[in-house]
Amino acid sequence: MWRALPALILTDLRLALRMRTVVFFNYLFPLMFFFAFAEFLDAHGEACAQVAGMVLVIGILGNGLWGAGMRLVQEREANILRRFRVTPISPTPILLASVVTGWLLYLPALGLLCALAHWIYGMPLPTRWVSLLLLTSCGIWAFRAIGLIVASVVNGVQESTVLIQLLYMPMLFLGGAAIPVELLPAWAQVAARFVPSYYLVSSMQNALGHGDPAAWHGAEIAALLLATGVGLSIARQAFRWEKDDPLSPRARWYLAAVLAPFLALGIWQLATAPPTAGTRTPTHPERITPPDTPSSADPAAGCGRRPPRRPTFPV
Amino acid sequence: MIYVKDLRKQYDGFLAVKGISFEVQPGEVFGLLGPNGAGKTTTVEILEGLRQRSGGEVRVLGFDPADDGLLLKDRIGVCLQQAALPDRLRVGEAIALFASFYSRTVPGEALLRRLQLWDKRDAFFMHLSGGQKQRLALALALINDPQLLFLDEPSAGLDAQARLEIRSLIGELRAEKRTLLLTTHYIEEAERLCDRVAIMDEGRLIAMGAPREIQEHALGASTIELQTAQALPPGELPAWPGLLRQARDGSGRGLTIVTTRPAAAVMEAVPWLIAHRIELQDIRIRRPSLEDAFIELTGKNLRD
Repeated sequence: MWRALPALILTDLRLALRMRTVVFFNYLFPLMFFFAFAEFLDAHGEACAQVAGMVLVIGILGNGLWGAGMRLVQEREANILRRFRVTPISPTPILLASVVTGWLLYLPALGLLCALAHWIYGMPLPTRWVSLLLLTSCGIWAFRAIGLIVASVVNGVQESTVLIQLLYMPMLFLGGAAIPVELLPAWAQVAARFVPSYYLVSSMQNALGHGDPAAWHGAEIAALLLATGVGLSIARQAFRWEKDDPLSPRARWYLAAVLAPFLALGIWQLATAPPTAGTRTPTHPERITPPDTPSSADPAAGCGRRPPRRPTFPV
Repeated sequence: MIYVKDLRKQYDGFLAVKGISFEVQPGEVFGLLGPNGAGKTTTVEILEGLRQRSGGEVRVLGFDPADDGLLLKDRIGVCLQQAALPDRLRVGEAIALFASFYSRTVPGEALLRRLQLWDKRDAFFMHLSGGQKQRLALALALINDPQLLFLDEPSAGLDAQARLEIRSLIGELRAEKRTLLLTTHYIEEAERLCDRVAIMDEGRLIAMGAPREIQEHALGASTIELQTAQALPPGELPAWPGLLRQARDGSGRGLTIVTTRPAAAVMEAVPWLIAHRIELQDIRIRRPSLEDAFIELTGKNLRD
């Protein structure tokens, strides 16, 4: 397996970069959202970090759900996986290669977006690149894993499109990637706590705008890593080389298992910081402090202490 | 190389393979023939470790495909009917990728040169012709230098020229004493390439042996067609050895003899013609083909 994995990653990267749609959806599509949001919301300076965080998550969702979820289904329909099946490889390197490829493809988008946000909208450059990289990586891994489960449990491209849309839309609009959660009605703000992308958006925004160290987002990172592990494990179990391979009737419920960490996180969040009906609820209400509290990336704040800060999004 | 005893496979109450048994010896080219739905693909997929059997005993290279699937796949080569690879994968990249899957490989360049694909090493898979795609499929099957190869309809869907090329390559593999298990719809391919064939129908093996043995066993009669310069004498014709039936043609200068002993019949017919001062212009002996035998045994055409 360990000899096949680098070869599969290299092949996946080559194939991805030879497809215009992959380049478009990884790099140009998020940028279109970025410029549209930044202009529409007039997000300059530190506020641009909020937009950048949203747009990065839009890219991660696309890379994960559409990239991993669709590619594997297409390869199965084209009998490419059948050709692999008669060789001595297991599903594991194929799945891992998909995750690593998606991750490698997306990292340049992170740098590109930060650079454009800095040069055009004056967003301060991230002070904690490692934290940002870690959050982005965990996000990509988790959503690629979810995408791979989708690919395993659907019977064809059309079914895959429907199931991905059912996941993608709530994560986009309810999780705060397309619309700031603060603008949603109270019930939707409650529902947002159970959507995986919600935690990624808020963590990315804080890592970009405030230079949060990764330790402050331990619960979010743990949930994403858990989703990655559970997702890959389920995708391996449910992996189908051919369209005619039997699918367990319970297979679609596997998706619920991979979303379980976020269900737990949502319950915990609601118990500790419930949103107030009819008012704007910040993504991390425990961090909201009076306006005179300084908001900065304190270099000394990397020891697990969360400095208080105010929301910077120009709503 | 391959040992199969009382193999059975059941799908949702439907018995696709009904207790078949056969063996394939080292260096042998073994053909599995049968109409669609006969169970040959299921049988081959069980041997390749792709499907679990419902019953019976199977050993391939000493491995049980159900338990040692990955070990077995590392040692065998499989050439599928449709060579499916990503459209934008280059030929050389495909060879490198598949080489990474195996514990033992042959140099990719030598393989591509042998299969006349070296000039196409930078071509995308989607730009290859049908014959080139099938040659690439064969190259991928040979990348681990297997002693046992499964060839699933290797020349299906190809034009006549490409089919000849593929058959020539299979002939080379045969000359190298590799063991081949071939499934095919082309009777002439089986007749020409296989040492032994097994005919499957509705999940059962209904005949097995050398192509000629099956032909003779299924249909013992050969047809002799004689064309003469002068009209044959009127009246009753002799009863040739092994005669089943005979008939003159409309011109009176042609005779068709159906006999179980064609050589002996010819040996008697020629002196008889000389004795009657009739010049023999042409003689044709048509032995029953494997296709005739197949139709006789199954009541179906192989392409059904």
